[in-house]
Amino acid sequence: MPLYDIAHDTIYRYDSAVLLSQQLAHLRPRDCVGQHCLAHTLTIEPGEGRRRERIDFFGNPVTAFSLQAPHDTLAVHARSRVRVKPSTWPERAGSAPWELAREHLRKGLSGHAPLQDDARDAGQYRFASPFIPLGDPSARLGDYALRSFRPGRPMVEALLDLASRIHADFRFDPAATSVATPVAEVFERRCGVCQDFSHLMIACLRAIGLAARYVSGYLLTEPPPGQPRLIGADASHAWVAAWCPGVGWVDVDPTNDMRPDGAHVTLAWGRDYGDVCPLRGVILGGGGHRVEVAVTVTPVGSGALPQHAARER
Amino acid sequence: MSEATRTGATPYDEMHSADGAVRPHYQPYERWLHEMPRELIDRKRSEADIAFHRVGITFNVYGAEGGKERLIPFDLLPRIIPGSEWRELERGLAQRVRALNAFLADIYHGQEILRAGRIPADQILDNAQFRPEMKGVDVPGGLYSMIAGIDLVRAAGADGRGEFFVLEDNLRVPSGVSYLLENRKMMMRLFPDLFSRYHVQPVDHYPDLLLETLRAVAPAGVVDPTVVVMTPGAHNSAYFEHSFLAQQMGVELVEGQDMFVQDDVLYMRTTQGPRRVDVIYRRIDDDFLDPLAFRADSMLGVPGLMRAYQAGHVTLANAVGTGVADDKSIYPYVPEMVRFYLGEEPVLNNVPTWMLREKDDLAYVLDRLPELVVKEVHGAGGYGMLVGPASTKAQIEDFRQRILAAPEKYIAQPTLSLSTCPTFVEAGIAPRHIDLRPFVLSGGKQIRMVPGGLTRVALKEGSLVVNSSQGGGTKDTWVVD
Repeated sequence: MPLYDIAHDTIYRYDSAVLLSQQLAHLRPRDCVGQHCLAHTLTIEPGEGRRRERIDFFGNPVTAFSLQAPHDTLAVHARSRVRVKPSTWPERAGSAPWELAREHLRKGLSGHAPLQDDARDAGQYRFASPFIPLGDPSARLGDYALRSFRPGRPMVEALLDLASRIHADFRFDPAATSVATPVAEVFERRCGVCQDFSHLMIACLRAIGLAARYVSGYLLTEPPPGQPRLIGADASHAWVAAWCPGVGWVDVDPTNDMRPDGAHVTLAWGRDYGDVCPLRGVILGGGGHRVEVAVTVTPVGSGALPQHAARER
Repeated sequence: MSEATRTGATPYDEMHSADGAVRPHYQPYERWLHEMPRELIDRKRSEADIAFHRVGITFNVYGAEGGKERLIPFDLLPRIIPGSEWRELERGLAQRVRALNAFLADIYHGQEILRAGRIPADQILDNAQFRPEMKGVDVPGGLYSMIAGIDLVRAAGADGRGEFFVLEDNLRVPSGVSYLLENRKMMMRLFPDLFSRYHVQPVDHYPDLLLETLRAVAPAGVVDPTVVVMTPGAHNSAYFEHSFLAQQMGVELVEGQDMFVQDDVLYMRTTQGPRRVDVIYRRIDDDFLDPLAFRADSMLGVPGLMRAYQAGHVTLANAVGTGVADDKSIYPYVPEMVRFYLGEEPVLNNVPTWMLREKDDLAYVLDRLPELVVKEVHGAGGYGMLVGPASTKAQIEDFRQRILAAPEKYIAQPTLSLSTCPTFVEAGIAPRHIDLRPFVLSGGKQIRMVPGGLTRVALKEGSLVVNSSQGGGTKDTWVVD
């Protein structure tokens, strides 16, 4: 089973002193099926700010910290060691028709019938969320999804087909979008980064009545010999998990057109990026700022850590 | 805020029975009025106007010219409720608020009512007012809406008796209590002799009750809690009330920038240095409370406030996330909540409601749009509604298209014949439609309210919309023994 060391460094440089800073960090990889976090440290400069660990409403570990002394640089260094088990996938053909998932959710969520716990959990990820409104474009997004989700098609097969089509139809372009680019615009312009493709795919799935969540995480930086380097490997990554009755959550990575299989490390999940962004804060002062983010994921025992600096994708 | 509905049949009149006779509880008033020269009443009316201007009791109407403050018209003719009627209402209101608080505690913890299938889960999960941030957060006393405003209307029953219905629950930041208090003060000042003819139950202890309520929900272990009133600022439509209540309770009126969070503890800045805050009576919406947790562009909130709240170091009244229980899409289920959580039959009835998300209801309602009132489920303040009988054909057709585009966003109700109360108008005294908003306080084990509530009156003839944002007025409300 792969064992990884993850280094995630974020450095903010401000034009003038920040007097007060309140931050929320989703930087500790959560334990989940097929993944266990063996060790984790979070170093914050300047000084040891006041901090508090808790579990957020989606079950993710979150660290809240505040800095009350003036500073013009904030550096957050996360180090984690994580054991990942390659996922056991339901056979494509063996999985049930996708409509079953939709019906299970529809009946469970809109009827006057007792609600099963699995549908209740999935229901949290079934509807619009702050970054993924299901307003006007939802019909078009639904149409786009339905070309993969043809009647009777097995859920996992349809899911992978949708990811493939997003991968084929959309261009990866870090310069094209920002954190605030709406899904509708990504859909129009047909380009973006992993966060955009994940939001888009989630919107497609929710538009046809399925439950889908946003997974924030990492990719192995240097692939095993002979394999291509994956997109997003030098930054934070994001992908999608869709809910399938009887199977549970099925992960799929539209940016790389693949099923996560041992090279993805899960950090946190939520309804969309807003629930799980690695670092989010409110500062007093500071003027303008520049941010540098560097992520490396290396198999334990592979030697020196390569250093990559890139903006968060 | 509530919207009232329109009359088809003869409405119930609070003062006169169907045969024109004056109801017993209005008879002393009627005799008094008979003795009063009309000129004197007119003079008292202008005295009242001047006094309200001086005190500065005003209300901003959004969208009105320059958003400027104006007076809410005050009507001199009181709305009188017999004590026996009020006691029944009081019982129903306490029951309803108890059930609503139990529902909120459940929704943010075990969600038993969803598991039991008594409310469809999507009504909660697909509701922007549902705050996942509140899941698992334990609030003092399990109370979420310590200050609730329940809008009641009275419609004529088949036997000519008036029956009260709940039109709407306001569990977030219900406003209007300052008018209730000022109206009484004004009446006592203008017509002291009237109060010698009636045993009118007092209301002026409301600020004391409110302060006791707020102190009762302080975080566990706090002996002498510091309470503040938090306002979004002077541009808010209810700013007058915020400052009024802070002053009446003798506590600080603060804005977000007056406070900060350190170590998950909330402090306010004072001239003597930071002072710990234990309870916030906040008159600001969830979205603006904490830019770290909610709207990042909010300049009105306090970064880190949610964390202090989740850690149990400060109490917010009302709690975050109460909007999920007073949404119009949840309203139809409140009687079910009373049965589910309390095992009782509801004392107060809902107005029958069609939910247009249901196919059958939708078809029924589309056939009868000119007779019905249709409301947006997430709307408030009388905006975004159709009053069928008062609308033109074009307006109805326009609304039909809006419904068809998104039926789940609407509910419909019959046009109730809302009760009327005689009111001073230009031409003399004429009946106008009214509603009633009692304020229900829950703190510790007690549920308390001052007798009566705020009576709002639609001043335009035939109009059923009593909201102050839509140009309604108010009356003093008497509960008499």
